[in-house]
Amino acid sequence: MSSGENVLSPEYKKALENLLFQLADDDFLISFRGSEWLGLAPHIEEDVASSSISQDTMGHAAMFYTLLEDLGAGKADDLAHLREAQDRRNSVLAERVNGEGYYMETPKYDWAYAVVRNFFYTQAKKVKMDSLRQSNYKPLAETAVKVNMELYYHLLHWKTWFIQLLNSTDEAKRRMNEAIELVMKDFGDVFSYGDEKTAIEQSGLIAGEDQLKEGWKSNMALPFECVAMKVPDIPEASAKNGRNGDHTEELASALTTLSEVYRLDPAAAW
Amino acid sequence: MSNLAMKSEEEMLEQFIERIEAGDKIEADDWMPEEYRIALIKLISMHGISEIMGALPEKEWVPKAPTLHRKLAIMAKVQDEMGHGQLLLRVAEDLLKPYGKTRSDIMQDLFNGDLKFHNVFHMDTKSWGDAGLIGWLVDGAAIITQTNMLGSSYGPYARALQRICAEEVFHAQHGEAIIMALAEGTEEQRTMVQEAINHWWESLLMFFGPASKETTGSSKQDITIKYKIRKKTNEQLRQDFFTKYIPRILSLGLKLPDPTMHYDEEKQMWIYQQPDWSEFKKIIKNQGPRSQARLNLRRTSYENNAWVRDALAATTN
Amino acid sequence: MAEKTFYREFEVFSKRTPSSAFQHQFSLLAPNKDMAFIMAQENFMRREPVADIWIIDREHIRSMNADEKLTLGRLDNKQYRTTKGYGYLKKKWRHYEQQMLDEKEILSWGGNSK
Repeated sequence: MSSGENVLSPEYKKALENLLFQLADDDFLISFRGSEWLGLAPHIEEDVASSSISQDTMGHAAMFYTLLEDLGAGKADDLAHLREAQDRRNSVLAERVNGEGYYMETPKYDWAYAVVRNFFYTQAKKVKMDSLRQSNYKPLAETAVKVNMELYYHLLHWKTWFIQLLNSTDEAKRRMNEAIELVMKDFGDVFSYGDEKTAIEQSGLIAGEDQLKEGWKSNMALPFECVAMKVPDIPEASAKNGRNGDHTEELASALTTLSEVYRLDPAAAW
Repeated sequence: MSNLAMKSEEEMLEQFIERIEAGDKIEADDWMPEEYRIALIKLISMHGISEIMGALPEKEWVPKAPTLHRKLAIMAKVQDEMGHGQLLLRVAEDLLKPYGKTRSDIMQDLFNGDLKFHNVFHMDTKSWGDAGLIGWLVDGAAIITQTNMLGSSYGPYARALQRICAEEVFHAQHGEAIIMALAEGTEEQRTMVQEAINHWWESLLMFFGPASKETTGSSKQDITIKYKIRKKTNEQLRQDFFTKYIPRILSLGLKLPDPTMHYDEEKQMWIYQQPDWSEFKKIIKNQGPRSQARLNLRRTSYENNAWVRDALAATTN
Repeated sequence: MAEKTFYREFEVFSKRTPSSAFQHQFSLLAPNKDMAFIMAQENFMRREPVADIWIIDREHIRSMNADEKLTLGRLDNKQYRTTKGYGYLKKKWRHYEQQMLDEKEILSWGGNSK
């Protein structure tokens, strides 16, 4: 297969772009959800700490969109803001709302859901980045090395919250278990490549779905041991597979919000 | 037996005044007159909680910020505001110790209306122009008041302000960058900035507080100047703000909402139309356009997350 | 302290580089030291390099009260302890056509170790 400076075959390029959209949209949507939490975390010090993680993550999204821009897919800001829901390739998990209510009114966000979603997601991302460091597309491998550097902190942060809350009061345990159930329901497309599965798995860009799933499960063994629980099974990708552009209403409303200003005039300098 | 304990209150006070006159810094565990402690608690807890409440109007524009770069920058900026709240509340919390009060008491005081937050953060935001204007002029005004207290006689406050003002430099440039892009942009974008200035003008004038207590019935400025917590009066700060920012506003081709405003060479001061100070009194009594909505949001998120604090209060390690 | 609280006080120290000394940053509230640890860097060192962090429970700090601070007073008559008291050697050595071995000179002998 070819690397950055060579001419990419159409099949390879298609697989690469699809994978990059999955990575970029995942990080963009989950960091958008993180940015809605800003100012509302359970504790001021935590608000500051977790905002850094949202910023890092959006920074990663920007790097993936830039790789797409370099491939001629369009301007990074257009890719992030102007694509319709059916063109988005993120996992459904990344687009889910933080809890009840719209952020401009008086939302009731669920911290247990934030902890579980972010921890499980970050571990999945870590497994992907570890694989991408060996990607045969050099620019992506280099990006993965950079992204990986910031994941140590993200993982430690969410793992600490995960273990501490699951080892605390009955109410916290109940809420955390409900959150685990909710997150796992949407976990089916996290490691899915959707309809591009064969093309992506044969491209040499990244490991196959099953290998990544195994990596996630083995990394999760220890934290689950700390809370005396079993690692949940990853469900099969459901009919609603974000990788194929199947999304919830929650994505549509997220896109309306995040592009509200940019859409006023995408040609203008902001 | 401590020899300090044997000193009379008067001697202690005299020694205290000598120390601050000499430019010495007072620390949290030092003896201080009750009046000083109370003035600091009022000032710093209001300053701190205003940062925490101030995150709310700006955060409305965080998910909406137009580009990836703007989204990242405004997230970092609002994060800093929360961070400033953290620094200031820590300083206030240490001062509150003799009264057995903690951060949860500060939050309760906010919710029941005993602790006020800054007038600007009671206002509504209408467009991305407002987000830029807050960064540019509201933060500009905040920089003027905060640098005025960098030499504060209370050491922990001075140190917190040192950190805060260093970050405010980024905030000022962040605000300028948004405004500059809009001012140099399309007709709609220019209108956005002008409308934002019109919308925020009165609030900016009020930002520095009344010139004297005759205006609104009360003012804390005298006592804070007496104890060397701050240097300049409210009016001096407002004038400084005009001097620094009016030429910049005009240079971008923007109009001042007050057509009578001018600099009087003879009096060496800016002449301007007074804002409606009765409105100011209403706003800081939590009767501004967004006062109740923001308090409600803060209260709801605090109570909604109470289980997290309860859960971890139980752990010790 | 018997009362359970989410708000325990921790002091945060950090070093900029592996070879620099620890420096006090600020204090934060956290329920325990592991939580304090995951909040420390982003609260106080968002824009500067960090090579290491210490978290210290305030209860473990032995600090000074105003009376004890009186023990820190010291007369300025201890030139014999410092190089200030030996400045005259410079002139003496010049007489023997030798250079004075001052602090700058002696510390330079270790080479450029930063």
